[in-house]
Amino acid sequence: MAEYKTEPLKSWNKAKELRLKYYKEYQDAHKNGGLRWTGGAWSFDAIPAGLGRDVYNITGEPYGASLAFDKQLSKECMEAAEAKGWARDLCSYMRNYWGSMYLNKYAFGGEYPSPDFCFQDHICCSHGKWYQHVAEYKKIPYFCIDVSVGPYEDLDENRLMFVVNQMHESIEWLEKITGRKYQDDLLIEAVENECRSTSAWAEVCYLNMAKPAPLDEKTMYSLYVHGTLAKHSKEIADFYEELRDEVKYRVDNQIAAVPNERCRLMSDTQPPWGFLKVFRYLENFGAVSIGSLYTFGLIGIWEDKPDGTWGPRTTPMQKGESITTRDQALRILADWNLSKPEWQHFYDPNIKTRMMLQIVKQWGVDGVMLHLNRGCEGLSCGIMENRLGIAEAGVPVMTFEGNMGDEREFDEKRVMARIDSFMETLGIDMLQKAQ
Amino acid sequence: MITAGIDVGSKTIKVVILKDGRVTGRGMKAAGLEQAESATVCLRQAAAEAGIKESDIEQIVSTGAGRKAVSQANSQITEVGADAVGTVHVLPEARTVIDVGAEEGRGIKVSAEGKVVDFAVNEKCAAGAGSFAESMSRALEMTLEEFGQISLKSTRSIPMNAQCTVFAESEVVSLLHAETSKEDISRAVHDAIASRVASMVRRVGIEQKVALIGGVAYNPGFVNSLSRSLETEFVIPDDREYIGALGAALVAVERSKGNK
Amino acid sequence: MFSKFFEWYEKRHDYARDWLTKNDGEVVGCFCSYAPEELIYAAGHLPVRMLGSHEPQDVTEPHIFGMYCPFCRDVLAQGLKGRFNYMKGIMLAQSCLHLRQSFTSWRNHVPVDYAYYLYMPNKVQTDHARSYLAGELAKFRRSLEEWTGREITDEALREAAEVYNESRRLAHEVYDLRKGPNPALTGLEAMVMVASSFMVDKKEHNAELKRILPELKERRLDRETGARLMIVGSEDDDTEFIRMVESVGATVVTDDHCTGSRYFWNSVEFTNGDILSDIANRYVDRPTCPTKDFETRSRFPHILQLAKDFNVDGVLLIQQKFCDPHECDMPPLKEYLNENGFPTLFLEFDVTVPLGPMRIRVEAFLEMVGEEELF
Repeated sequence: MAEYKTEPLKSWNKAKELRLKYYKEYQDAHKNGGLRWTGGAWSFDAIPAGLGRDVYNITGEPYGASLAFDKQLSKECMEAAEAKGWARDLCSYMRNYWGSMYLNKYAFGGEYPSPDFCFQDHICCSHGKWYQHVAEYKKIPYFCIDVSVGPYEDLDENRLMFVVNQMHESIEWLEKITGRKYQDDLLIEAVENECRSTSAWAEVCYLNMAKPAPLDEKTMYSLYVHGTLAKHSKEIADFYEELRDEVKYRVDNQIAAVPNERCRLMSDTQPPWGFLKVFRYLENFGAVSIGSLYTFGLIGIWEDKPDGTWGPRTTPMQKGESITTRDQALRILADWNLSKPEWQHFYDPNIKTRMMLQIVKQWGVDGVMLHLNRGCEGLSCGIMENRLGIAEAGVPVMTFEGNMGDEREFDEKRVMARIDSFMETLGIDMLQKAQ
Repeated sequence: MITAGIDVGSKTIKVVILKDGRVTGRGMKAAGLEQAESATVCLRQAAAEAGIKESDIEQIVSTGAGRKAVSQANSQITEVGADAVGTVHVLPEARTVIDVGAEEGRGIKVSAEGKVVDFAVNEKCAAGAGSFAESMSRALEMTLEEFGQISLKSTRSIPMNAQCTVFAESEVVSLLHAETSKEDISRAVHDAIASRVASMVRRVGIEQKVALIGGVAYNPGFVNSLSRSLETEFVIPDDREYIGALGAALVAVERSKGNK
Repeated sequence: MFSKFFEWYEKRHDYARDWLTKNDGEVVGCFCSYAPEELIYAAGHLPVRMLGSHEPQDVTEPHIFGMYCPFCRDVLAQGLKGRFNYMKGIMLAQSCLHLRQSFTSWRNHVPVDYAYYLYMPNKVQTDHARSYLAGELAKFRRSLEEWTGREITDEALREAAEVYNESRRLAHEVYDLRKGPNPALTGLEAMVMVASSFMVDKKEHNAELKRILPELKERRLDRETGARLMIVGSEDDDTEFIRMVESVGATVVTDDHCTGSRYFWNSVEFTNGDILSDIANRYVDRPTCPTKDFETRSRFPHILQLAKDFNVDGVLLIQQKFCDPHECDMPPLKEYLNENGFPTLFLEFDVTVPLGPMRIRVEAFLEMVGEEELF
């Protein structure tokens, strides 16, 4: 059996530093007279960036996942949310987040740092409601932009303008509630950085087509997260370009994520964060999860290339366009985000199936593991139709039930048993050393 | 060649001993808390029935949720794989296998060679498995056998939602208070279990013929309900609860050949 | 007096099949109460709201994951079981993620000629939603025209809106008769009156309402009113449940459900301008579903007003299991109603509700509501 060489990722420490710095900066923002805001990972964070360079945000989903990672704290948060009467089947990130707010405990030590305002966007039923409650509880202002105008392939002027008009409205609102003068040059810079960071992340994922895969999905989880924190920031855009160069080096030198790679899988939806050992377990079979539409397209922005392949979307700057006005910046920002792969299945599961099968083909995937994620109604939407579509295309597919943020809904033994059965159907035995 | 298959289920352990392709010994025992010990006793029982010494067995394959507890096993196979091999061996025409045990139900699509094409397993909920019928029979103060039988005498169907065992039990109690006959309640319960199992099996799709295996296949009320629900007849092997163990023993034969 | 409505509701498929033999249009299944039925009606079709049948089923598991609400699965089951095999068109006005999946799976697996997804805005609290929706309605209109090759004139749209407005006005008149100490109709009758209007030609439904109204105004029900209850929550056409509630010493006198008052509460206001804008405004301004109710909770004051206007003693908060939008409103709504002096009882609904355990809860609640009056 082929054994590839492997080595730790050099960018790893930087990734960790950047992440902690982000949460620390948010926490300390008020010390220097800066502003703090909260919203979802998909919110248009480039817009509040126009309020100044001292504006910091905390995004709910990665924050909820950070809480989920700390099993004890997460349990306390869940119980605090349930004590307030919230249903147990609601978004588990949201319940973790609310719980942290009620308990006044910050996942990174100290008290929950109260935001000055909420700035959100809405495509999933829980989005608009999440920060509605935060705003009520914290008695702070709230703005939400509805982006549910249909799939990108059907985008037209009326649909684009609904989003752009709301963006303009949001800027007036930001000026009003903060009393600050809005700076278009900062917005333009942020939009450029966002295009750069989200396209560079797609490039990183694109490189994972190589055999052996330079990255495994478990590692990718620690890297894509930066795009969910501050996709508009220069620091993140620069980091993703450095990371891309390192991954390219790994590809050129056949440095593998899983040295005994002999089977390539892909997953779907957020993993059960408290049980990432599922991915380590796969390594016992020489199986590597090369990623998923989730890790590729939650933040990464992609496009269909003329040759029929799927690849990183060309940025306006790469096309030689220069952004000069607020309206132009907002139009680009709206259009760019509306092409997000993870926004398409909200309207039609078939679009997602098509993208998934494209990944199977291009990345050389042998089997698909779908996480039926009870914690996220948004990304689990249509997932059974995806399963049918993938199976009909003749690609082996299995499902396992769990929850990204509520470990009480994950049955470890059963899931591992199911993986055993699935690997057996793929004809892959457990490697000797693991037995 | 002599091989053995050991199926360590959540409730019972089953052993099958194969000699030159023929079943010569079987054993069955409650799993209890000490699975390894029970498996050893069960294997001894089967060897005695086959009239052989345990050391005569060339290859042992274990299967089932507790398969890793069997120290005597040379290798293992999942219950999904064992069900497929075992079923196609006794019923070569089977393309869909439904296995309903005490705590788990499985739907498996199989090839003519006994290979798994696709499978679905019930999620962590016992409403689609044997334990549910047991707890409902207790609520009606009947044995499971009686409970299964009287279901067939029911003349009407009462919708009941088996989402949760506790809730279903209180629904049964209120049906009793409403003087619903035990026959109709029994059918409602079996329909509810069958509906959960049918839901799961539909995920892999129904391809003829459909084999029904596992201990719950002895319950005529359940078989009747599932048959109505899926609108299909089943082929049910005689030793339906031993199919997994048989599959493991057959795999042992293959693996033994492969080693030579 | 309501027998015609019950007949329509119970024999909805017979009605639709019969309608098809007598009319030149098609039956168009509408997913979600935000469907702008006026356009479909103006095109000469019969818009029918998609509901479930309240029977346990086992056919949707391969299509919709079990964490979504029982209602969306019940709706899809109707299609998969072929109950609507006469229906050629379906349309979704962008709804919650749950019901949306009934539509997308229906489109994938149930044969239809025509399927249209209208990207109804979720944020109706911005003025931009008005022009945006008007633009989307224009596309829907063109799409309907292309389907049947028949033009939908402004005149036809205006007429359709008038028929619908009349239906809304009549429903208000009926609801008004529940405000007094002796409601002229039961909650069950009101529920079926509204639900049947989803299934039949509104003109016919209006005619029947006009026929019974004079008599209804004089009607004295031969029963004790008991506690006056309001039902509030997600989709609810559970007739068995409301029948049970009204058999244990209570009368349901009003509601806030998309299958009840929310469906007909406001009308198209004609401006002499673009008729599509008038229709769009009606849908933007209507009492919202919680999934469209942000940034503020505009539903709450409306619900409170209903409770006051109908002299309600208590509120049953009814929620489809797993309904995220309502789950996000229930705890604050409960608090809000309680603070305003209205006791509440929360109940979770499935495709079928176990009446025994539900009865125990409702009776306990009625006891509590009754006791409060003593002090």
